[in-house]
Amino acid sequence: MSSNHSAAGEEARRHKVEGPRKHIVAFVLSLALTLIAFAAVASGEINSQFTYIILIGMALVQVFVQLAFWMHMKDRGHLFPIMGIIFGVIVVFTMVIMASYWVWW
Amino acid sequence: MSAHDHADGHLPHEPEKATLEGRNKVLGFWLFLGAETVLFGTLFSAFLALRHNTGDGPTSQELFELPMVFAATMILLFSSLMSVFAVQAMHKNKVKPMLGWLLVTILLGLGFLGLEVYEFLNYIDEGHKMPTSAFSSSFYTLVGFHGAHVAFGILWIGLLILQVLKKGLTVVTAPKIYVSAIYWHFIDVVWVFIFTVVYLMGKVG
Amino acid sequence: MAAHAHKVKRYRGLMDWLTTVDHKKIGILYLMAGGLFFLVGGLEAVMIRIQLIKPMNDFVGADTFNELITMHGTTMIFLAAMPLLFALMNAVIPLQIGARDVAFPFLNSLGFWTFFFGGVLLNISWFAGNVPDAGWTSYVPLAGPTYNSGHGVDYYVLGLQIAGIGTLLGGINFMATIINMRAPGMSFMRMPMFTWTIFITSALIVFAFPVLTVGLVALMFDRLFQANFFETANGGSSVLWEHVFWVFGHPEVYILILPAFGIISEVVSTFARKRLFGYSSMVFATVLIAFLGFMVWAHHMFTTGLGPVANGLFSIATMLIAVPTGVKIFNWLFTLWGGSICFTAASLFAIGFIPTFVMGGVTGVMLAVAPADYQYHDSYFVVAHFHYVIVGGLVFGIFSGLHYWWPKMFGRMLNEGLGKLTFWTFFIGFHLTFFVQHFLGLLGMPRRVWTYLPNQDFDTMNLVSTIGAFLMGVGTICFLINVVVTSAKARNAKADAWEDGRSLEWTIPSPPPEYNFKQLPLVRGYDAWWKEKMEGKSAMTPAEPPGPIHMPSPSILPFIMSVGLFIAGFGFMYDKLYLAIGGIAVTLICMFFRSVFDDHGFHIEEDEQEKGVHA
Repeated sequence: MSSNHSAAGEEARRHKVEGPRKHIVAFVLSLALTLIAFAAVASGEINSQFTYIILIGMALVQVFVQLAFWMHMKDRGHLFPIMGIIFGVIVVFTMVIMASYWVWW
Repeated sequence: MSAHDHADGHLPHEPEKATLEGRNKVLGFWLFLGAETVLFGTLFSAFLALRHNTGDGPTSQELFELPMVFAATMILLFSSLMSVFAVQAMHKNKVKPMLGWLLVTILLGLGFLGLEVYEFLNYIDEGHKMPTSAFSSSFYTLVGFHGAHVAFGILWIGLLILQVLKKGLTVVTAPKIYVSAIYWHFIDVVWVFIFTVVYLMGKVG
Repeated sequence: MAAHAHKVKRYRGLMDWLTTVDHKKIGILYLMAGGLFFLVGGLEAVMIRIQLIKPMNDFVGADTFNELITMHGTTMIFLAAMPLLFALMNAVIPLQIGARDVAFPFLNSLGFWTFFFGGVLLNISWFAGNVPDAGWTSYVPLAGPTYNSGHGVDYYVLGLQIAGIGTLLGGINFMATIINMRAPGMSFMRMPMFTWTIFITSALIVFAFPVLTVGLVALMFDRLFQANFFETANGGSSVLWEHVFWVFGHPEVYILILPAFGIISEVVSTFARKRLFGYSSMVFATVLIAFLGFMVWAHHMFTTGLGPVANGLFSIATMLIAVPTGVKIFNWLFTLWGGSICFTAASLFAIGFIPTFVMGGVTGVMLAVAPADYQYHDSYFVVAHFHYVIVGGLVFGIFSGLHYWWPKMFGRMLNEGLGKLTFWTFFIGFHLTFFVQHFLGLLGMPRRVWTYLPNQDFDTMNLVSTIGAFLMGVGTICFLINVVVTSAKARNAKADAWEDGRSLEWTIPSPPPEYNFKQLPLVRGYDAWWKEKMEGKSAMTPAEPPGPIHMPSPSILPFIMSVGLFIAGFGFMYDKLYLAIGGIAVTLICMFFRSVFDDHGFHIEEDEQEKGVHA
């Protein structure tokens, strides 16, 4: 039912212009996550199993931050973009399972 | 529609969504990005399946140099931030700053691309070519597809800068700027996975 | 944007068709091109059946037989079935949702022309003497450079790649159209069933076709640039190709069948003169089938040796699909139940669809049983199964839809007598051809083999099958005669051509004017037009005052862009770098022009709106 506001009327009426602050926060966050990932590998101290987990975790958080803030997916009127990306991610997820388990055995 | 809005020089608050054409463009582009997600996902899964099969060629540990990858990552991340600022300037209807941010965006993009070409040439010197192994084929295809996207983005945003210089910021050009910014962020998002899965995980082994 | 009143050049004759961005004309283009490829693929099928009419036949050689089966499958799936669906989508969807056009008219035209030139590229292989011969699935290593050193598979790879661009654009376009362009009041749960299925099919296209794109790129790199994706000697994996192909290929099956479900829903409900039974369960079933469709691809690979866990998972997931499909079957039966059914040709095809598709579905569940699949695999049982779902499902659906919407597309009613003759010959021919193939498969006749030895109990059934194939050919010819006969008649179809129309396309003249709706209609419920009729109204309530209507201008660029890709395809294939770069450059330059020169379109003023409109 909530999906039938096809016109973008309501979102066009958000008059306040957003400031750059949260985008800079997102940037700093991305920067930190990238640094942690590189540091985890460069140090060579951590065992490889755990490094993998750190790497994947950092990447997922960073992508989430960028999608939400820089690509405006947290804003209103993004139902279909969110659904589109989520469905794409589900397909990709099945393919990653495929590539990891069902190509070599 | 908002024909009178821009006739007297005032753009609506979010000019990219002011017309049905603009809203269609933004939505259609998001759907295209859904398709792009699957496209890169397939390339990633092919790479994941083949990345250990290096044959007689160099392995990922021997090949990759983290400082260069880190530099490329930083350049692209900054470039993405610049295009955020460009869209913000557009929403405030400040055309000159917007063009400035866009220009910095594509200059950084060019830097990234230059670094990537330099990197590929290095690898070829080290005997890591397309026909070397399954690892090399899937590496060049995945990273090369990303590079091609960057190159296309540079040409596209460059063309948009020229268009805005000529036509000004209107309800026709605004959706294009907005959509190109989304595209540019998407390229950065893909790169996050590339530096994680290809380079860092490759370095770990 | 009333501020821009530009004069736009209107073309006539051939140039009109090359430059059109009108969804109704593009629909007709898809119909003609898809119909042409359907005849080509049909001819190939008849040649296959002639070769198999008796044991040890030598009508064609083994090599030619391989080429025939490859091209038959590829042509029918990508160049006949999908375009014919796109024809109906284009002709009907904007009308059903009460829109004046699709979201991206220019891309719509581009999608058609890339499909068309991709298809032409693929079929030029017959004249170049290098025909794809590795099966429609192009399994490696057979399709790899080692075992297929000619250019045959290159035609397959590049032709499908170019045609695939068109399909992807179409998918994005129709998703955006259905999300953004619905008439006031038409919520998602008031959309006609055909619109729903096209929405879901478009989503499947958007998420499945990129997988094929990557698979074809990888195969192309293997063949042209010595890459090693599938070269086992250098660390590649041939199983990877099977995975990638079927991750695309299985959703593709649902891309084909879901629109047929939609057509059947419309036709059954119209000719039973009843509301579609269980509309919301129908919607839910469609979404569920689409979702599960992505999770079952490995049932094509049970015999690859993925192991019991994977086989078990995919086996169960596949059987699950039978549940929502069963929901649909029962909904159609309950719609028919107690209705005052009108047996037109369209309705006959829809009613014939139901038992035929059930048979295909049952063999599908049989094949989903992984241990049993080892027995059925690569036998004629599989051939029978997928022809039951694709011909008995999809092609019946397309015929039904064509008979149903023909008056809306062309303004002329197809001849009912010839239509019924088409149905009976095609229906009987179909079952003669493919029913016996179940048993041929169970007896052990392998598919894709060019001949067989006598005295294995294969002879009679193969003869029957070939006779059936000819009968299907007769059915197709009946349809063509019907089209020719009808085109000579007066254009006198009424707006509500079947008098029992339920959705918005039946509220506007047949064929509709360029702008479809003079005033956008206000939708007050599911079966919008039926609802108004039941309340004694003779027209929809308009949702806007009359006024000038904005239209997009025609453009030749999509045609030139596709020619560019076509040329680039040859360049890649024959290692002519200048051709490849030149072709891509042509396409990029067209994109440049499209971006730089804004399309302001033009307006049809109120006093011009009646011109040429058939009342």
